[in-house]
Amino acid sequence: MSTTTPTPSELLYRKVRAHGIDFFVSVPCSLLGGVINLLEADRDVVYTPVTREEEGMGILTGAYLAGRRPAIVMQNSGYGTIVNAICSLVGYYRIPTVMLVSHRGSEGEKIEAQVPMGEAVQAVMEASGVRCATVPHPDQLGRVDEGIEWALAEERPVAFLFPFSYWKVADYTPEHR
Amino acid sequence: MRRFEATKKVMETIGDELVVCNIGHPSQELFQIRDRPENFYMLGSMGLASSIGLGLAMSQPRKVVVFDGDGSVTMNLGTFATIGRVAPANLVLVVIDNEAYGSTGFQTSFTAGKLDLAGVARAAGIESVTVVDAEDEIVPTMRRVLGEHGPHVVLVKCAAGMPDGVGVIPIDGLAIRDRFMATVRG
Ligand SMILES: Cc1ncc(C[n+]2csc(CCOP(=O)(O)OP(=O)(O)O)c2C)c(N)n1
Repeated sequence: MSTTTPTPSELLYRKVRAHGIDFFVSVPCSLLGGVINLLEADRDVVYTPVTREEEGMGILTGAYLAGRRPAIVMQNSGYGTIVNAICSLVGYYRIPTVMLVSHRGSEGEKIEAQVPMGEAVQAVMEASGVRCATVPHPDQLGRVDEGIEWALAEERPVAFLFPFSYWKVADYTPEHR
Repeated sequence: MRRFEATKKVMETIGDELVVCNIGHPSQELFQIRDRPENFYMLGSMGLASSIGLGLAMSQPRKVVVFDGDGSVTMNLGTFATIGRVAPANLVLVVIDNEAYGSTGFQTSFTAGKLDLAGVARAAGIESVTVVDAEDEIVPTMRRVLGEHGPHVVLVKCAAGMPDGVGVIPIDGLAIRDRFMATVRG
């Protein structure tokens, strides 16, 4: 990692790795490019891209059953594809998956079609049994510590929403979708 | 040969492999045929049996055998792309193809029409794809693939239908999980 000021992606990635999270899957978002680059470069984690977030939840479940600490890197729209896997797999068998979620449709969104799912996501997560915390700025990354500790102790899934404000400056170029 | 007979033949070849089984009657039949702590019965999340198996195969060295159904794997065709890409040497995906959604009353599925799942698997980059349509080919095929580096897809062509008297699995999800995790830890 660089010796200059760490980017929001680096801060997030270090935070999650410090909890022993060692197995990742991802589906891209323009806001997540930095985190995905870090994942691809990290020789100490098992990582694969997946075709769909729902498939990812199945893979994370297998990883947890084998003793790993798994996480998914995804856009909030992906939550719309996984509710059944959350309820009938991860929730039912109590698999503590960590979900690192870029929050499109939050303040600063330029693509209108991202807004409805952006507005719905937190309520849908909570209704499906996922504890959810928003991290609006790197200063609030302590919420990730609390959430991961809770998830591992309770064996429940946890999600962190990272709106545009979190990624400001370093990672985001608005031309990218 | 129906799913029940096919499952029984596959299980004759299973030693200490981890087994993940498809939702519904397939898991109920497996429980009746040969329950063991190394069986993970997926009681919900239709479509994700192969994904659970892939996560297991990526995370530990033991061989993983997944029983999937043609209807369920069709719901998660992307799994072939991911298995092809990751190429785990210790994964065997057995697709029981009865050309029907069995658990919900044997409604016709896509493999009864034009869908060629073996072709999909090959096109996704999985090199070892075997189609089996006779009961006595199952044991030699499984012995062969369990002795070679994978990933392997074994598509077993079956008739629709199931025996009477197969019942609901009497242990709950947490018990299934805990004994499975204990045996994986060894
Ligand atoms: C998301 C979802 N859609 C539908 C169902 C209902 N359902 C349960 S099992 C099943 C059929 C599975 O068929 P297949 O995988 O081919 O296995 P078979 O029972 O034929 O061996 C269906 C449609 C469900 N449980 N979940």
